[in-house]
Amino acid sequence: MLSWACGTIASALRGARAPPLAVVQRGLRSTSSRFLAGPGEGAEKPLRAFDPALLEFLVCPLSKKPLRYEASTNELINEELGIAYPIIDGIPNMIPQAARRTHQHKKQEETEQH
Amino acid sequence: MAAPRSYVLWSYCGRGWSRLVRTCGPRGLHSSLPAGSLGVRFLSQEKHATQTHFGFETVSEEEKGGKVYQVFESVAKKYDVMNDMMSLGIHRVWKDMLLWKMNPLPGTQLLDVAGGTGDIAFRFLNYIQAQHQRKQKRQLRAQQNLSWDEIAKKYQDEEDPLGGSHVMICDINREMLKVGQKKASDQGHKAGLTWVLGDAEELPFDDHKFDIYTIAFGIRNVTHIDQALQEAHRVLKPGGRFLCLEFSRVNNPLISRLYDLYSFQVIPVLGEVIAGDWKSYQYLVESIRKFPSQEEFKEMIEDAGFQKVTYESLTSGIVAIHSGFKL
Repeated sequence: MLSWACGTIASALRGARAPPLAVVQRGLRSTSSRFLAGPGEGAEKPLRAFDPALLEFLVCPLSKKPLRYEASTNELINEELGIAYPIIDGIPNMIPQAARRTHQHKKQEETEQH
Repeated sequence: MAAPRSYVLWSYCGRGWSRLVRTCGPRGLHSSLPAGSLGVRFLSQEKHATQTHFGFETVSEEEKGGKVYQVFESVAKKYDVMNDMMSLGIHRVWKDMLLWKMNPLPGTQLLDVAGGTGDIAFRFLNYIQAQHQRKQKRQLRAQQNLSWDEIAKKYQDEEDPLGGSHVMICDINREMLKVGQKKASDQGHKAGLTWVLGDAEELPFDDHKFDIYTIAFGIRNVTHIDQALQEAHRVLKPGGRFLCLEFSRVNNPLISRLYDLYSFQVIPVLGEVIAGDWKSYQYLVESIRKFPSQEEFKEMIEDAGFQKVTYESLTSGIVAIHSGFKL
């Protein structure tokens, strides 16, 4: 009973202290703008980092097969052909001439040739 | 390959003559003399099975890519200033017209090839955002008697102003991409765009991924245009649209004369004065003259498998917008 009374009083007080609508709106607007600015403020970083969502679009320009993102070397790797495409400043370099051959596949290819 | 009529203009300019002799000389000999009588120099040329043009120069296909790269590496920083100076700002209108023609809807996945400086990409994002704002305004006008609850709700679920639209910018030149990235942060474009270094002839994208493919003032510089067109066709979704803005042929003889005069006499000078680079701008005007005419290019687009191929000449045909659908 007492707790119920306290609850109603508290809620009544809260209701009385509720800010006028304009303030609420301003508050909402500021949160929404902060929400919008949120990813923007960090934009400097994501620009440099690689977004894995991009893997849905990107394929190896030679084999047109999907690539794997290797976070440790910051490269996109085509396992099948043994090629690694570097990501520099957040921009994947998908030019085959600039790609690096990964080691073990090179050996395999050599044995195949001989 | 007959020397274009524009060569007449070259006689005014000492530089032009030496180039003319250089480019036409060996090529002429090459075709008229049997291979046995050629010197070592010509034999070494023989090694390159296929040749292409770099402006009015004939170069091997391997060389062209490198040369084009050098041009755009060199002009990247002054690219916008020079475009404004050379076209008197009209290039902006041409690009706007490409967007009007595209009329993208929210949710459009765009691939902009050779779009390093972001000219098309930013216009695309702005266009979509403007559309979204118009929609919001219309809604606001239609719903004047919202309850406070509804108003509060409106502020809570903030809609994505791009409606899921995304532009993938693919350019072969890192310098151009850098300029674009800088412009993007200056103009406040943060969401909805991705930069990829890639070759138009070997696109690093999966099949059927994009609603629209654009290439503005880029396809001219590609070594194998047919291959680039096939790649465009491959990455587009069925129903997707190919749009190309490129310099074309001026049909009016009077305007053509004036245009030639301006191109060959004024543009390289502007290039030298503003960007300190005569050669790159010389290449620019030459490459424009080498690019196929509206009808020829239309056929090339059709050959790549596109349907409903149309074009629209702008500014007397100085540029044209080509359009085709993957159906």
